[in-house]
Amino acid sequence: MTLVFLLVVGALTRPIETPAWERVKSRQPELNLAGLEGAMGQGVLVGMLGGFRAVIADFLWIQTNSVWERRERAKLDSMVRLVTSIDPRPVFFWINSARMLAYDVPNWRIREEGGYFAVPEKRQKAIDSEQAEQAFALIDKALEFHPDNPKLYLEIGQIYLNRLKDPANAAPWFLRASEQPGAPYFAARIYAELLRRQGKNSEAYNFLKGLFQRLPDDDPYAQKGIILERIRELEVTLQVPADERFAPYRNNLLNLAI
Amino acid sequence: MSQSAISIKNLTKDFSVGMSGVKLRAVDDLNLDVQDNEIFGLLGPNGSGKSTTIKILLGLLEPSVGECTIYGKASASVEARRSVGFLPEAPYFYRYLSGRELVRYYARLCGVAKAELSTAVDSVIELVGMKDAAHRRVGTYSKGMLQRIGLAQAIVHDPQLVILDEPTAGVDPLGSTAIADIIRELKSQGKTILLSSHLLAQIEGLCDRVAILHGGKLVREGRIDELVTPEEVDSFVVEGLTGEGRAAVQDAIKAGGGRLLRVEKPRLSLDAIFLNEVQKREIEAAPEESKGEDAT
Amino acid sequence: MNGLGFRQIWLIASNTFLEAVRQKFFNSLLFIAIALIASSTFFQQFDFGTGELKFIADFGFGALFFFGSILAITVTTQLFFNEIENRTALTMLAKPVHKFSFLLGKLLGVQLLMLAFVLLLCLLLAGILYWRESELLSRMDPELFSDGRLLRYSDILLFGFLQWLKFGLLSAITLFVASFSNTNIYTIIVSFSILVVCQLQYIARDAYADMEQGVGRFFVQGIGLIFPNFQLFNVGDQLLFAQNEALPATNLLQITLYACVYIAAFATLAQLSFRRREI
Repeated sequence: MTLVFLLVVGALTRPIETPAWERVKSRQPELNLAGLEGAMGQGVLVGMLGGFRAVIADFLWIQTNSVWERRERAKLDSMVRLVTSIDPRPVFFWINSARMLAYDVPNWRIREEGGYFAVPEKRQKAIDSEQAEQAFALIDKALEFHPDNPKLYLEIGQIYLNRLKDPANAAPWFLRASEQPGAPYFAARIYAELLRRQGKNSEAYNFLKGLFQRLPDDDPYAQKGIILERIRELEVTLQVPADERFAPYRNNLLNLAI
Repeated sequence: MSQSAISIKNLTKDFSVGMSGVKLRAVDDLNLDVQDNEIFGLLGPNGSGKSTTIKILLGLLEPSVGECTIYGKASASVEARRSVGFLPEAPYFYRYLSGRELVRYYARLCGVAKAELSTAVDSVIELVGMKDAAHRRVGTYSKGMLQRIGLAQAIVHDPQLVILDEPTAGVDPLGSTAIADIIRELKSQGKTILLSSHLLAQIEGLCDRVAILHGGKLVREGRIDELVTPEEVDSFVVEGLTGEGRAAVQDAIKAGGGRLLRVEKPRLSLDAIFLNEVQKREIEAAPEESKGEDAT
Repeated sequence: MNGLGFRQIWLIASNTFLEAVRQKFFNSLLFIAIALIASSTFFQQFDFGTGELKFIADFGFGALFFFGSILAITVTTQLFFNEIENRTALTMLAKPVHKFSFLLGKLLGVQLLMLAFVLLLCLLLAGILYWRESELLSRMDPELFSDGRLLRYSDILLFGFLQWLKFGLLSAITLFVASFSNTNIYTIIVSFSILVVCQLQYIARDAYADMEQGVGRFFVQGIGLIFPNFQLFNVGDQLLFAQNEALPATNLLQITLYACVYIAAFATLAQLSFRRREI
């Protein structure tokens, strides 16, 4: 009797529950359990499913931190994959994991092989490349969950630029980062700077002019003043004649005069 | 003819015991009437069905067969309970409340109007003699005090019928006497009281009518004085008789057609002696102040 | 039900609340929960930047969820059986009080207690988050905060509200189990088992979508319908951060309505079962 009653209640409430559930579910991505069973105990599994997913991922992250402090390379790798599988939602995990793989691990490996003075530069570069690839692979996975998060694109760009010293490959990633919603203003500025470093001055010039038009006047972080300075510098480098120089306010002045 | 306060007809209650389908018959075809404004005693040993009967009267259990009414209303209905006050056996109350707060809580629960609340609470607390202790937490009360505050909560909503389940169990003789006095006071206010007890001596002086239960069945019922005093037997209490006088009395009895059953020294009950002594000392101890004034 | 009925329910509820607040168990759990949330400040020592806020929030929500669930079940059980064992229920029901008023009063009393619990923890969590966020604001790159604060504080209360609804539902279920159970322990164990099923039933439902027709699918579908979906109330991780979308009002209303319907259902079941109980 009780069961029938509850069945009926369940059926009746279905129409209210479904839309709400759809909404809630959409924010809780599927757990990719396939790769995880070996690494977890039963308790973790049940707890995770039971709504403690975020907390468990947090705790595992703290553990990851300890592993990082102890420089246990192999364990770090598996921990990082574990945490991001359990809860792929926080970008924080992906980014910090990528940084550990791209910046810290190559340092450890180089030290293991004898240190910066002993290991030949070619080998150092090879190690840096390998680790960077691992980091890129991780960020690619992150992009599946967060396709328009500028921080991920920035991270790739920064690894190319700061670790691999490769402005050519870095530049397009800064560009893509700047195109994502909510991107920090400096992404576009760095892109232009990287173009300059590669000697692509006219590309940089055109890009900066367009950027200046697009940016809002009232936001101090947009740093339009600096952009204008760069534009002027490029005009000198490119030897642009005075009457063709960038004058975004000219129309305004004309309007005022009239 | 006024309505019976309680009317029980053909009441039977079976309890299922365990899984085997065996039934325990706690009350067996009980028929009983309690009249308005009397003190009725329900007597019997443990397990005789007293508590079960009372629970059915209060609508806490359902009868297997038969029906009960209280002032004409079915006892299972909530309406019937408006005119009933109940003090359970070995009562337990929320320990953290004070006596007054407890009575007030139950008064509000029973629907006593806000305007009359304080008066009602104060008057019943005074009636049960708990005025001095009403501000203290119930958790600090002795057994006798618990019973008395229990009585207070039972009558605060001025019910016509008061049901008391073992009101003096575990209470010392002084406390029992106090409770008995309160019960008599309630009767004089026009209420009906149903008492259940297995302490026969305490009941004897209090009830108008009693029913004796055993094994769920009604064994005996009637007015106390009728039950307790056999018709045909008289006792004369005499003092100052000589030996010859005794012989003359015995002859007179034989001549009058009677039979001398026994000669014995009348005994005071231990109860009476105890009460006497204790009360005497309490009276001596109490008005020290007035004694002081008198001394001048 | 007339005015007296409502008044009775409220009286019983407030009395239940007072009684529960005095219970050592409640106080211990509350203390532990507070200590736990306060200890979340230990996350400072890791230099997580704004990630620290997420950790604190997750930890706080988790504590609320965990201890609240335990509390809802144990307090309901304890209060109910106290009344029966001490026979204060007897005194109560001998008065002109419906058994239903008694049950509802107890349920409401527990709800009030859970409300106090939830509010306290939410305020504490909000306080800690505010403090840490302010400190981070002063320490870190201001451009991160150009859109204003990172956290939506009203969402803490929103999460608290949803959990409170869930605790109400849990209490109603516990009350239902208690109404026909004979002991404390049995009630607690059964209620916890039901809690686990309700919490995990959403997985069964997701699985059933992939299953073939047959007994298995039917069974799983049945579970999905009979047991309310508790995961619905666990939106904690989705809230709070301003970058995430807020929960739309319609969904909130739907979830609230869902909870109320189920609470009513279990309260009714409890009443039906309690009516036949012999005290």
